[in-house]
Amino acid sequence: MLVSIVSYGLALGAVYALIGITYNVMFTASRVFSFTAGTVGMLGGVFGALFIDRLGMPVAVGLLITLAAGAGLGIITEVLTVRPVLKSLDQHLYVLSTLAFALMLQQLTAIEWSTEPQPFPRLLPFGPGLFDQQFWLPMLACALTILGLEWLYRRTLVGRAFLAISEDNYAARVLGLPEQSLRIASYALAGVIGTLAGFTGGEMMLAYFGNGPLLNFYGFVPVALGGMGSNRGAVAGGLALGLFQQAANFLVGGIFASVAIFVVFIIVLLVRPEGFAGAAPARRV
Amino acid sequence: MNDSATLPLAVAPKRRLGGLEALFPTVALAAAGAILPLLGDSYLGVIATRACIYWVLVSGLNLVVGFAGQIAIGWVALLTLGAYVTSVLTAGTVMPELSPYLALLIAAAVGAVFGMVVGLPALRLRTFYFAMTTLGFATIVTQVALAWKSVTGGGVGVPGPVLPWPFSSPWGFYYFCLGLAVLCTWMTSNIAASRFGRSLVAIRDAEVAAEAVGISKPTLLVTVFLFSGAVAAVAGGLFASLQSYITPDAFTFDLSVLFFIAILIGGRGSILGPLLGTIILTALPEFAAPLVAWSTFLYAVLLLVIVLAVPGGIADMLDFKNRRPLERHREIRPRPELLAQILPPQAHPNLLKLENLSLSFGGVRAIDGVDLEIRMGEVHGLIGPNGSGKTTTLNVISGYYAPQQGQVRLNDKMLPSRAAAARAGRRIARTFQTPRLVGAASVLENVMIGAATAGRASFIESLLALPRHRRDEVQAYDAAMAALTAVGLDQLALVRADRLQHSELRFVEIARALVLRPCFLLLDEPAAGLSVDEIKRLGALIVTISRQGTGVLLVEHHADLIFDICDRVTVLNLGKVLASGTAAEIRGHREVINAYLGA
Amino acid sequence: MPTSAPDPLLQISGLSTGYGKIGVLHGIDLTVGPGEMVALLGPNGAGKTTLLRAISGLLPRSGRVRFAGKDLSGASPRDMVRAGLVHVVEGHRVFTQLTVFDNLLLAGYGMPRREREIKVEEALAFFPEIAAKRNDRAVTLSGGQQQMLAVAQGLVRHPRLLMLDEPSAGLSPVLVDRVLAAAGRLRDGGTAVLLVEQLIEKALRIADRVYALVRGSIVLEAAGNEPNLPSRLEQAYFGHSLRPPSGPS
Repeated sequence: MLVSIVSYGLALGAVYALIGITYNVMFTASRVFSFTAGTVGMLGGVFGALFIDRLGMPVAVGLLITLAAGAGLGIITEVLTVRPVLKSLDQHLYVLSTLAFALMLQQLTAIEWSTEPQPFPRLLPFGPGLFDQQFWLPMLACALTILGLEWLYRRTLVGRAFLAISEDNYAARVLGLPEQSLRIASYALAGVIGTLAGFTGGEMMLAYFGNGPLLNFYGFVPVALGGMGSNRGAVAGGLALGLFQQAANFLVGGIFASVAIFVVFIIVLLVRPEGFAGAAPARRV
Repeated sequence: MNDSATLPLAVAPKRRLGGLEALFPTVALAAAGAILPLLGDSYLGVIATRACIYWVLVSGLNLVVGFAGQIAIGWVALLTLGAYVTSVLTAGTVMPELSPYLALLIAAAVGAVFGMVVGLPALRLRTFYFAMTTLGFATIVTQVALAWKSVTGGGVGVPGPVLPWPFSSPWGFYYFCLGLAVLCTWMTSNIAASRFGRSLVAIRDAEVAAEAVGISKPTLLVTVFLFSGAVAAVAGGLFASLQSYITPDAFTFDLSVLFFIAILIGGRGSILGPLLGTIILTALPEFAAPLVAWSTFLYAVLLLVIVLAVPGGIADMLDFKNRRPLERHREIRPRPELLAQILPPQAHPNLLKLENLSLSFGGVRAIDGVDLEIRMGEVHGLIGPNGSGKTTTLNVISGYYAPQQGQVRLNDKMLPSRAAAARAGRRIARTFQTPRLVGAASVLENVMIGAATAGRASFIESLLALPRHRRDEVQAYDAAMAALTAVGLDQLALVRADRLQHSELRFVEIARALVLRPCFLLLDEPAAGLSVDEIKRLGALIVTISRQGTGVLLVEHHADLIFDICDRVTVLNLGKVLASGTAAEIRGHREVINAYLGA
Repeated sequence: MPTSAPDPLLQISGLSTGYGKIGVLHGIDLTVGPGEMVALLGPNGAGKTTLLRAISGLLPRSGRVRFAGKDLSGASPRDMVRAGLVHVVEGHRVFTQLTVFDNLLLAGYGMPRREREIKVEEALAFFPEIAAKRNDRAVTLSGGQQQMLAVAQGLVRHPRLLMLDEPSAGLSPVLVDRVLAAAGRLRDGGTAVLLVEQLIEKALRIADRVYALVRGSIVLEAAGNEPNLPSRLEQAYFGHSLRPPSGPS
């Protein structure tokens, strides 16, 4: 029983962490959050089932196309819902535009794919086991993503350009950095990470349009707890959330587990609005 | 000085702002709703009943989302709550049956409490975070409804309440819902045309300025959350009655989206817009069968289009008044002689004293041991090179920053630091370096915001348009028009503020400050961007304000203006007071000149 | 009378701009010749920083901007940098979370790798003090060192015209002299410099030509070594002179 809690907990936690990272990558590129983070996660699962099960593609091909689709969705998010509203005076429009787009994607999925959860294919040709692929695939994806991002930010000039744009957009522009292209690239990367999360978590969560709002919320909790933009905080928060959720499920049952998570979330935010690793807000006047 | 017993107004807007215009949505809804049954189509009746029920909820949510600007997406939680409370109380399963009316009242009370609970995080959290928490609430409430089988019947559900005769028949029930919808329209229209409505909009679009005129964001937000929660719960009870039987999956996220989008499509800060938006969104899926499945998709597309193309929504499209072109070469001609009627003579000498103020930001000393005195009836200039600490000093006086050392005293009593909203009560008013106004509201409404704390009527009195509310409105209107006439902008009173030129906006800010009848007026670079003529007129206005007894602190770069009108001048450099004296003394002061020239 | 080179490197005509509805600059005409140091002086709020932002494309503007013979009136900051006009903004804004070396590498973003590394080394050589701290994060540098880093960033692309916005702000007198001396060396090496400064006397010592900007308009243009310049500037700033009309200051 304990093994089950830990396996499911860490695996789901890894998926949540990856969605949190998706939020973070979008945030560091543009200083706004997008409701599409959880939606691309959901689509990672749906696309995986679509390409591999329904269309019969090999697993590797299905994965690549899914990730490519994720990148595409990330780019559309930036072009359609973020860039146009960044210029306007009303700072909160991005909440509405990204929400609208996320809803459109979700409804489209519900109508064209299915309103019921659909099974997700077995990715690797091994049988079910104690340490099953549905558990370690998301964890592997999470580890690879973290390592990949570290390499990107520390070792490549592009990665350091991302950090520069995130720290001081104005100074980056003056220096001649291609701020627009870098932002689009960030969003594409975020889309890839999001779909990767949904794809590797597909067997656990199934291909279901309703995962969208679920991942939106549970993927946001690590960000809120770990601090905006902090990927390490997102991972810690995500894994903690996953374990807490499974333990609560086991102890008090599904419904009250959700209530418990939500209450903890609210309390933490009210006490420390910037999260555990975040910075205090800037001057207003 | 002209002898003017009354203020001649070139424009004579209606006494109570809006008047007939504010009543239009209520009357239109009542009229349209009353004749609908005559069409005899019972299917139409069901749709109309549903629209009325949704509007009861949306009218309250409108104050939260459209006026206060809070992104509360998960309001279906309160619909669910109200539906279940009413149904359970009338079903007689858990406790003895109650009358449906009583059940609705109890639901309203429960809804008010939960509305406040759902809304409270808004005071602490950033926009996106708050939106997320409301979504979380919506999910939780549905899940609790599913799980608490003993009370809610779980997935099986409970029957909804049935209203007694004459509201038990479909048309009877329709009239009941219509009645409540009309009542809600009337009540929220009253709030919109009250200091509460204007204050909500001020919080939404000019929060810093709202604080400066004394508006308390927490109190106001809690009030609207209480109201909004209550009406949403009542709508829930009606919804349960309409459905006859409710299960948790009747309360989908799609409904929440519908409510929210109806407000955005209708346009923020409007009553009529969201009303039309609700009717349209409720009716839309009914008129084409394929649309039903795609309805939420279409709502989302509509939302995206509105955000990208017409952020002002239907209300903006219907705002014909503001399409009329304005006169191009407008001049601002203040009439300082009218100030005597706005600023009463001061009863006793006032003194605003800064003692040894110091404040650092992250290791940089912004102000260092600043001493300053502003006397009543005096214009005191505060000048210095960029980064010398002028605006920081102003922000400390007006209560936005707390000094790390030293204090600000008003007539020997220490002013609490970090209490910007309390300054208005002490009659300390200010303007801002960049005008902070509500672009979407009219010039007159912007200036009336200055009277926000002068009103005596409570929220409930305004809701029901009781006499005290009407008196408040008349007084606020008079005070605002007087101030606008004194600064020379009365001709533009009804124009949307964002259509004005920059220089006019500066004078609007001054008018707003004048409504507070300040003992001390703090002006932050009011001459920036003004033409030479405008600066002269501004100077004359400021001098007359001070002659009425108000002490003026003028932070400025314009040397001409400073030396023309200031009685005393203090010069700051690198956070310290470099020199202080009369304007003549400062003008020839070697060190001051050197500071500016950077020798 | 000041004579500019026959083909000015930078030529601004009729430039106007502002922030939102506030008009700040009104029809500015200004030229900078190749290898020339031009000082832009003026009181606070005159619009000096705004003018530099308008030239480098950070602000939308009306009017014409010609640089190195090309019409760059609609150019973005990125276009300007590629054309050889680099703007070092006020307030020594460097990327504090990155190392000195990374800050300089980013200044050469888009250049071929080898060329970038060579130019970064040359820029570091100009400021030996920060060269010693090349692998330290910029947040560990003092204000003066960050300012030097910011100027070094401007040098990486070997610009034809370098615009410096108040490089002396917040620096001790010794450091101010260092930074301005570096600017002088640049000019001697053939780079044109447009220098916005508050410190009139120091600016006049190194500048070839001077403009005074007051309330959004150019009110004075002169050669750096003309007599009575300080007095004329005071006149321009305050509308009247406080110094005795004749004799040294």
